[in-house]
This record gives sequence, C-alpha cells and structure tokens, in this order.
Amino acid sequence: MIKLYGSYVSRATRNLWMLEELGLTYEHVSLDWGKQENRSPEYLKINPAGKVPTLVDGDAILSESLGINLYLADKYGAGGLWPDDDAARARCVQWSFWGAAELEPLAYGRIREFMFKKESERDAALVEDMAERTGPLLTLMALTLAESDYLAGDEFTLADLNVACVVEYLERSQFDFTPWPKVEAWYKRSYGRPANQKVQDARAPIAAQMMKRLQG
Amino acid sequence: MITLYGNNRSRATRNLWMLEELGVDFERNMVDHTNGDSKKADFLAINPAGKTPALTDGDAAMFESLAINLYLAMNYGKGSLWPDSQAGQAACIQWTMFTATEIEPHTVGALIELIFKPKDLKDEAVAEACLAKLPPALNVLETTLGKNAYLAGDAFTAADLNVACVVNSLNMIGFDFAPYPKVTAWLKTCVDRPAQQKVAAQRG
Repeated sequence: MIKLYGSYVSRATRNLWMLEELGLTYEHVSLDWGKQENRSPEYLKINPAGKVPTLVDGDAILSESLGINLYLADKYGAGGLWPDDDAARARCVQWSFWGAAELEPLAYGRIREFMFKKESERDAALVEDMAERTGPLLTLMALTLAESDYLAGDEFTLADLNVACVVEYLERSQFDFTPWPKVEAWYKRSYGRPANQKVQDARAPIAAQMMKRLQG
Repeated sequence: MITLYGNNRSRATRNLWMLEELGVDFERNMVDHTNGDSKKADFLAINPAGKTPALTDGDAAMFESLAINLYLAMNYGKGSLWPDSQAGQAACIQWTMFTATEIEPHTVGALIELIFKPKDLKDEAVAEACLAKLPPALNVLETTLGKNAYLAGDAFTAADLNVACVVNSLNMIGFDFAPYPKVTAWLKTCVDRPAQQKVAAQRG
C-alpha cells in the first residue's frame, strides 16, 4: 500500500493530485506541524530531515514533491501521465526539473511574502524583482503552449501537473497573468481537472483556518 | 542519434560524464553560450530559452542538465546507472531533485560571486550567505553515505553522478569538506571514475 505523509497545507497536495489522477489506492498520513508530528522518531526514520512530503511505496521511500510525482508517473502512469514516446517523456522530465529549479524559487519566494506577512509588512521591492524575473519564464511556457495545448504535447501529462502546482503559488498571490493568456488558460485547464478539484475541496477548510491564524 | 549541445565551459560537461558512463554514441555541437550563438534561431528551435546544455535524441529535444542525465539514465542505463529495483529508481529521482532544489541554488550563487563575476563586482558576503545554506543538505548526504557506499545503495548510479557533479563544483572555490568525511571519500570515488576523468581531461 502506498503511503503519503504530509498535510493539506504542505506540498503533499501536489502528490495527492497525482495519486488521484492515477486512481491509485493509498493511505494519506496528515502530519501536523504544530504538534511537531514531522519530528517524531518514526517519521525521522523515513525522512531524516523531518520535511514533508514523503512517499513510501513498498521498499521505495522518497522525498521531494516533484520527484515523487515523477516516480509515480513513471511507475503507474504509462501511456497517460507518463506518455509512451521518448520525445514526450523527455519533456516530462525537463519540465519537472525546470519547475523545481527555475520557477519554484521565484514562485515560492513570492507566496512567502503574501502568506506569512501582512500586506503592510511585505517587501514590495522584492516582490517586484521576483515578478520581473518570473516574466521570461512564463514567456518560455507561452512559446511552448503556442505549439501544443499542453507542455509535452496535446495531452495532459506529468509535465503539466508538476509545473501547474508551482504556478499555483503565483495564482494564489495575485500574480498578473495578463501578458501570458496562453499560460493562464493552460493553468485553468490543468488545475481545474477533477482529480485536483477533489484535493482542493478537501484542502479549502484547512487552508482557510491556517490563513486565519497567519493573517489573523 | 544523440546530439549534445553546449561547450566544455557549460553544464554540458555533466551530460558528457553521463554519456561516457553509458557508452552510447553521440555527437557534440559546441554551441557557445557566451557569444550569442545560443540565442540564434537554429538553437532556439531546440531550446527556446537559448541556454546550454540541450540534448536531442531522435525526435526528442530537451534542456535542464540534471533532467537530461535522468532521461539518459532511464533510457540507456537500465540495470546500471538506472538500477532495476524500485527503491533504487526512487532514490535516483529523489537525489537528482534534491540536488536541483537543495544544493545547486547555493553552489551556483557562491560560484557566481567568487568565480564568474569580474573582480570589482564580486560580493564575498553574498557568497558566504550562499555557502552558509549548504550544511543541512551536506549533512543529509553525510548521514546517507554513513549507511551505504553510494546514495542509492551499494553501486554507483544516476543519483551519485547528478549530486557529485554539483557538489564537486565547490572544489573550484576551495570549499572545506573537512566536516563531511563520508561525502569527501564518496566524492573522490565518483570523480575518479574513468568516464569523469575523460571529461575532465577534455575540459582542460
């Protein structure tokens, strides 16, 4: 049985989306940061850094949210989220790393300012600088999306799922997508899929509670 | 046929290492990322971001150096750099992603300041701040290498290659590996491999 560790207000939602897309049976263990459940001896055995998410699948144990999705797609998504042809697979791997290495530092940097700080405390210069550096990345996506509906071709794949769950940070922090209509349309198409809708519906009340605490 | 784009002063050397390990035939295209050649139309058709390295393999075209190595291992390294076991494959993916997110941002940040910037623009404080973020990641490697000889178990895999090529860049700035004896020994074993030595010799 596959086990996923990490709460609805962590990057575990990315993996929940993937697990739902694949229609796999799994157990979700929602660790509570507030109660330090991620520092328990049992958890530190599978993730010595105490970070979430972690996936356990038989004797395979791995962390890194976008890496977990790559693993799941490769193992369980053949012909679907992990397409059959080499060209599309190459793009799935490429966009997963691109999302992690190029886009996430900027997108995460931005949402940190929005989530953990009140409006009056935000570093406007930092937000502006990050937005400027995000632009060329979205332009690169737009170039690809001008040629095909999705990042690896005409179908929704791992590439879209992994990049969309990073773009989510931009969307949640009022990023202005106006100059990149193709990216915005692609995001809505991808993010709105039923598998993710199910995850987001479960997340909503928990996230609202957390935001109330943070922004109080 | 596989073609690797990028010269020996780019991260293409990581992919060369992988290609040499795998022993597959490939061609080089030494497109230069410093003189504007990587921004010309013929290369932009392969990588619209205009960065090197990039790889074509039949009708597959991709960029992102660590992703290229993972793709090559998955396709051409079955049973060796891409191990057969599910646990080994999971480790290869995890460590490659870990190096991209937890190590490389900091090593690159330091290298930019200490090596690539002109003398009058170098900011040692920025470099120090980057290097100060490395210990947690290096400690995770140290712990793992205290259990097995390599990151994914007892044999050298894509996990080691992808982490080693990033960690080894710290030797360009005389990084002190003394607090990490397991990492030091493992890194030496990795970079001493004939495939990497061949690449290093070409690089000069």
